[in-house]
Amino acid sequence: MKAFEYLSKIDRRIIYLVIGVVVILPLIFPTVERVRVMAPAQSLFNAVDSIPEDMVLMIDFDYDPQTMPENEPMAVALLRHAFKRRIKVAALSLYVQPLALALKALDQVTEEFNARAQTSADSIIYGRDYVLLGWQPPPIVPLLEMGISISNVYSTDYYGYRTDSLPVMQGIENFNDVGILVSISGGNAPLWWVGYSQVLYGVAVGAGLTAVSASDFYIYYQTGQFSGLMVGMKGAAEYEELVESKLQVPGERKASEAMPSLTAAHLAIMVFIIIGNIGYMMRRRI
Amino acid sequence: MKKRIPLLLVLIFGIAGIIPYYSQYPLVQNVQSFIRNDMIRIIAAFALVLGLGSLLKVHFDKIRRHRENWEYSWVLILSFVVTAIIGLFGGRTGGGMLPTSIGSFVFNIQVIYENVNVPLGSTMFALLAFFMASAAYRAFRARSLDSTLLLVTAFIVMLGVLPLGNRISHHLPSFVQWIMDIPNVASKRGIGFGIALGSVATALKILLGIEQKWLGGTR
Amino acid sequence: MFATFLITIFALAPPTDVRAYDRPDDGGGAITIQWQLSPDDELVDGYEIYRSENGIDFAMVGFMGRGRTQYNDESTEDGKEYIYKVASVSDTLEGYSEASLPAMSSPQWFVTQRIYLLFAMLVFSGIILYYIYVVRRGKELYIRKIAGLEAVDDAIGRATEMGKPVLYVIGIGTMSNIASIASLNILAEVAKKTGQYETPLIVPHADPIVYTVAREVVKESYTSIGRPDLFDPDKVFFVTQSQFAYAAAIDGIMLRDRPAANFLIGWFRAESLIIAETGTMTGAIQIAGTDAVSQLPFFVTACDYTIIGEELYAASAYISREPMLLSAIKGEDIGKIVIFAALGLASIIGLLTRFPILGLFD
Repeated sequence: MKAFEYLSKIDRRIIYLVIGVVVILPLIFPTVERVRVMAPAQSLFNAVDSIPEDMVLMIDFDYDPQTMPENEPMAVALLRHAFKRRIKVAALSLYVQPLALALKALDQVTEEFNARAQTSADSIIYGRDYVLLGWQPPPIVPLLEMGISISNVYSTDYYGYRTDSLPVMQGIENFNDVGILVSISGGNAPLWWVGYSQVLYGVAVGAGLTAVSASDFYIYYQTGQFSGLMVGMKGAAEYEELVESKLQVPGERKASEAMPSLTAAHLAIMVFIIIGNIGYMMRRRI
Repeated sequence: MKKRIPLLLVLIFGIAGIIPYYSQYPLVQNVQSFIRNDMIRIIAAFALVLGLGSLLKVHFDKIRRHRENWEYSWVLILSFVVTAIIGLFGGRTGGGMLPTSIGSFVFNIQVIYENVNVPLGSTMFALLAFFMASAAYRAFRARSLDSTLLLVTAFIVMLGVLPLGNRISHHLPSFVQWIMDIPNVASKRGIGFGIALGSVATALKILLGIEQKWLGGTR
Repeated sequence: MFATFLITIFALAPPTDVRAYDRPDDGGGAITIQWQLSPDDELVDGYEIYRSENGIDFAMVGFMGRGRTQYNDESTEDGKEYIYKVASVSDTLEGYSEASLPAMSSPQWFVTQRIYLLFAMLVFSGIILYYIYVVRRGKELYIRKIAGLEAVDDAIGRATEMGKPVLYVIGIGTMSNIASIASLNILAEVAKKTGQYETPLIVPHADPIVYTVAREVVKESYTSIGRPDLFDPDKVFFVTQSQFAYAAAIDGIMLRDRPAANFLIGWFRAESLIIAETGTMTGAIQIAGTDAVSQLPFFVTACDYTIIGEELYAASAYISREPMLLSAIKGEDIGKIVIFAALGLASIIGLLTRFPILGLFD
């Protein structure tokens, strides 16, 4: 009897300890776990892959350090995809905090490609292949005004260069010249892009989301308002899988390496729930 | 009179916010742009000053009266002042009026953000994993038919999103995707309709001055 | 003859049916040019768009890639006529279309595409206004029980008996979040009740504008019950705009001050569970309410009562039972009935089109 009571009232510190161990152990001995690619990630991959040459991939970095473990692998996989296919990239952020993280992701992928490059044509060069437009408050300004003119909103880029002087921005006037805008966010920014920019200017929008907020966004994916989604760590792992298998782009796959931890944590929670229910049901019977 | 002016302002600016959605005429868009880009920024800046004033006052009071844990108020105030000075005068990655490095030790605002804010924020976010486990263990009990159905569905979805789920059955991930695409979306849409209509009704009540509690007082 | 033959062989087929017209539903300064693809579309690099004001001198104004059939010229002057040609181009060859008819750009006052939305908004607003009129004529309106709001008095009573404060958290939303406004309405009622019992009320904030409004709400609420002396500005304070720093501050208040009742009402993101679970650890009674649907599961598991979605917007009316406020809820319910009826009808029609025998709505 006491045993069943104990099962239904396990000290929360034991639960925390078990969760800590099962999450940390697989990270100490990392292995890449290959995942099956589901439709939302595949749709996004296809949408980015079919951007015409005269258009640009716009990436909105909207995540904080708190959601970096989920969102950063998405950004890195997306950048690898774009750079491998020589798709021009325009990066921006609606807030100031994510800019540092945008820079981190851009620098990481640029260095990966330049370390393998044999010629200047293979290299990724700032201004020619990508631009970091920066941050322009309040957030509503780029959402609405870039449909009219991107260079009016971002007359200079993050480093102070005039955006209309950069080769990557030649012929890129407004949202008509954006093949797809992918918002990688820990919050609701993708919905703002759909609600404002897509409604007014028709720009295609994709999203990279944290798993906890994903259920809010499936509605919009079903209606086609999102061209595709990367959902949580698994979504990032799926995109990494696509980039490596279809484009043969090597590189560290942080999301895929974290999948064993995710699996172990899920299983641990399920075991605790089962234990709690066994204790609860046996107490009810007695 | 004290309440009439704010109510009138709310009505005017509320309507001024609705009209630009239905009209792209340059005059209308310019007014909207002025309100959004200029007025809101100015108001936000003033409000931030008020907010920071409140924060500092609370902690100075705590120090002055030696309330419990007053020492931590010094930590907050000193951190606030030092970070503000470095941020305002040191430049984003250095190069400002204030030097932000001593030898190889660099302390510009970017470094402070990456080495203090980022780890602290990540630590707090990481607590979620533990809290989710304890909350799920405590709350997910098969007390009734509804809660049992919820429990079983949760188990199926949790397994299905993992690579393990694909190994258990190739159909499991597709079934989970169906759950997310159909029942989940249907219920979210229902709640979404309610929230959308509620938002419009609440906004209408505020615009028309029917709801005045946000002004303080009885109505 | 031979030259003509060569041109016929080696020129690119131009695009056809070039039409230029004022771009609809805009603020002027733009003309839309549409064309049919060149039969040689697979061979072209793209299409160059040329513009003229006199029909003789044309200058290039834009370029679109292969397979595209529309271009928006956003550099026009309103009231001036322009004529357009489109040329299919490759490295060495090009083919020019016939000139379009003249077109002129102008601004429009109304975005015609949104007329249905305007209509729906007017209908819904009309329903609400109708019920306001009905209520003014003395009719009583029924509202169902909302458990979370029924428990507000109990929660405050519990805190009073235990001699502990009440903690009220508005979340991280700004004043543009309807949930924040709804929360302020509830805060006014909670402040009045805590004032009547002289129970301390702690209200920390994450947004400076919400903080300034909440401060006035609490002050006015105490004044309205004749106790302006109860207002303590140190209890209604701004903390930080940073999401998790705010959660850490709330957790600290919960663990140090041990409030007996926690109200978590407003707009939250991931910090919701951190706050709610810490409150559970301290043994406080917790009433949560949010329209952030993704956070509802966390509140439901960790809190005693959860106010879901539009129940939050109804809270002010529910607590005060003011007829004018109840009328708006009635209007919402009617609006929902209309939407669901429309969805049901559309679903039935959609199903019927799947039966070819019927062919009713083909």
